Amino acid sequence: MATKRKTAKRSKSAKRSPSLKAFARRAVSIAINERNTAKQRVAALAAEPLAAFENDKDLAAVLNILRNKDEPIAVRLGALESLQTASFSVDTFAPYRGDYLATLRKIVDDPDPELRQRVLGLLMREHDGSAQEKLLEGLKNPDKALVPPEKALQLLSYDVHAEAYLVARDIIKKPPNDDARREALRLLAADPSSAPLFEKLLRDKNELREIRQISASALNALKPDRLKEHAREILLDKSDYDDIKATSLTALEQFGDDAALGKDKALLKSVDRLSTGQATAKYKQSAKRFLSKFTK
Amino acid sequence: MDVELQVNNSISPDARFISWAPSPCSVRVTNPTGASSPTVSVRIAGVSAAGGGAVVFRTGAAGTFSNDLTLEVPVTGTSVPFFTAGRFGQPSVNNGDVRIEARMGTTLVGSVPVMVRIRKNANALKPAERNRLVAAFAQLNNQGLGRFADFRDMHTAAGDLEAHGGPGFLPWHRAYLLDLERELQAIDPSVALPYWRFDQAAPNLFTLDFMGVSDRLGTVRFSNTNPFQFWKTDGVQGINRRPLNGWNPNTQPGPSVRTEAQTLALGTQFSAFRSMQGNPHGTAHTQWGGSISSIPTAVRDPLFFLLHCNVDRLWAKWQRQNGRFNPAQANSYDSNPGNRIGHRLPDTMWPWNQITGGQRPPTAPGGTLAMSPCTNAPGPQPQVQSTLDYKGSVSATSRMGFDYDDVQF
Repeated sequence: MATKRKTAKRSKSAKRSPSLKAFARRAVSIAINERNTAKQRVAALAAEPLAAFENDKDLAAVLNILRNKDEPIAVRLGALESLQTASFSVDTFAPYRGDYLATLRKIVDDPDPELRQRVLGLLMREHDGSAQEKLLEGLKNPDKALVPPEKALQLLSYDVHAEAYLVARDIIKKPPNDDARREALRLLAADPSSAPLFEKLLRDKNELREIRQISASALNALKPDRLKEHAREILLDKSDYDDIKATSLTALEQFGDDAALGKDKALLKSVDRLSTGQATAKYKQSAKRFLSKFTK
Repeated sequence: MDVELQVNNSISPDARFISWAPSPCSVRVTNPTGASSPTVSVRIAGVSAAGGGAVVFRTGAAGTFSNDLTLEVPVTGTSVPFFTAGRFGQPSVNNGDVRIEARMGTTLVGSVPVMVRIRKNANALKPAERNRLVAAFAQLNNQGLGRFADFRDMHTAAGDLEAHGGPGFLPWHRAYLLDLERELQAIDPSVALPYWRFDQAAPNLFTLDFMGVSDRLGTVRFSNTNPFQFWKTDGVQGINRRPLNGWNPNTQPGPSVRTEAQTLALGTQFSAFRSMQGNPHGTAHTQWGGSISSIPTAVRDPLFFLLHCNVDRLWAKWQRQNGRFNPAQANSYDSNPGNRIGHRLPDTMWPWNQITGGQRPPTAPGGTLAMSPCTNAPGPQPQVQSTLDYKGSVSATSRMGFDYDDVQF
């Protein structure tokens, strides 16, 4: 625990001017005093995120606020933000990092959904194995879920691996909602074996436009040459939607073969159609930019 | 009669980018036809396109700037030096939107297009500037396989103590931003990294066409014309970024973030000012949920660079306010022999020094710092001390070639 830490561990660089120290001391005393309003306490925590690092006792007090389910949730969230902000000052924070992460693991199943979600996010960004297990467990067994499935899938993307792909594929087969399906697809965008799925979704005119956009993006990384082929065909297809054509055009403009594009008369003709047709001004402008780049 | 104009001591079009700091230039006669005396009188002036940048001139490294110069130039071909700079408050929008012209009498004898390339407030960028920036970012990332991956690898837990472990925090990130900006400029030389004023609302930044709009989950959405829709880092598609506590970055400044005035008032000594690493810097990161709120993942979000550009701008503004460009002056930096390696003034900075093992991280991704066709500073392996005089205020050779729209030379 922080209170047992040897003072020798304190960072040499944590030397602060007397006025800043006094300011920090005042901030901590306001933050930990339960007689102050939640608003006052949150403001104090936010004003000086490194305040708690002036001594181990103060740090323990802030960690205690975070752990204490009887504290107002706004104050607990404020304590979490303050500690996370302090973590950006690596030298000052380093001796306390272990206690901080241990505290996060302890409150991962807190009754407050916002706190749970934030804590799981912080742990997943640290590639925390236990957080990953809990998220996967919740997706397989919704009774044990700590966050909604779409959030769990999004958080798993911080450290993707094969087991997450399996779960994501199951979600796509039987999605609990549109957001969960979308997040499952975003997760699978790193899975080479999912390329055929993305090709199918990209070309499906009945599919949600957002899903087709995600599919184009996924293919751009998984099979860039196939995306370019599909993008060209979509632009040539008079019956496809202008927004998907705009995505296709952006892919070709940014990642295509400039020399080949300049010689592709059929493509340039279809882009010219987009630039003068019924499309929105933004898409027309995008088409005109493309033409000016490749018809010089 | 013809003259040749050199900008940044180069005839290359790649070097025709200037900032508020004076750039070394020269003029020489290349075709003396018609000359009747050993020297000719050449008037140098800038001509701006509508809404374009503007330039000023002076004959030496010091002295006042003027809108034009008249130089006596030998017909033998010997170069005559002069200096040019962007006129403060009038940066360029497009490459070549201001020309330096040389005239003999009314006859045009030489001309070069230049750009007053300045780091601007991202919220105030013109659509064309925004589109060029986003496209350059997308190409640098290139499906997660491009050079951007090196920048991801530089800013991870492995390099934590180099980047964040002491007073070198601000110098390290200045070099990091410059390295990235030069890579973007290698793709499109008209791009300058803009900054996000996190203490102000930014309605033009968090849009579908720029840095995206976060949905309730924190998944960032982009328009179909925005190249960021193809963003991928570490094998992961897209960007996660969620404003916390009901904050709307389009209409409100960061709720707890120190304002510019508060930050600049932290103290006149670097040892006091550098507490900005917590608030506003750390606070600007953690007022979001998502990758930008944790060091190991923050660089997955390109907003990181706009946030840090503002951190660097605040340092630049503080330096100018307090005259803190000279590393030899104690208050310009928190110099202490006890600082860990990489945080003392003469230390080279990882990873650009390519030193691994021992007290340094085990790998040094990305190679040396990108060079610029406009200046040789800070060199491929910058030291902490070489980042302080970024404008060349103390030594003209230290000029790094970037400036902020609201920080005068």
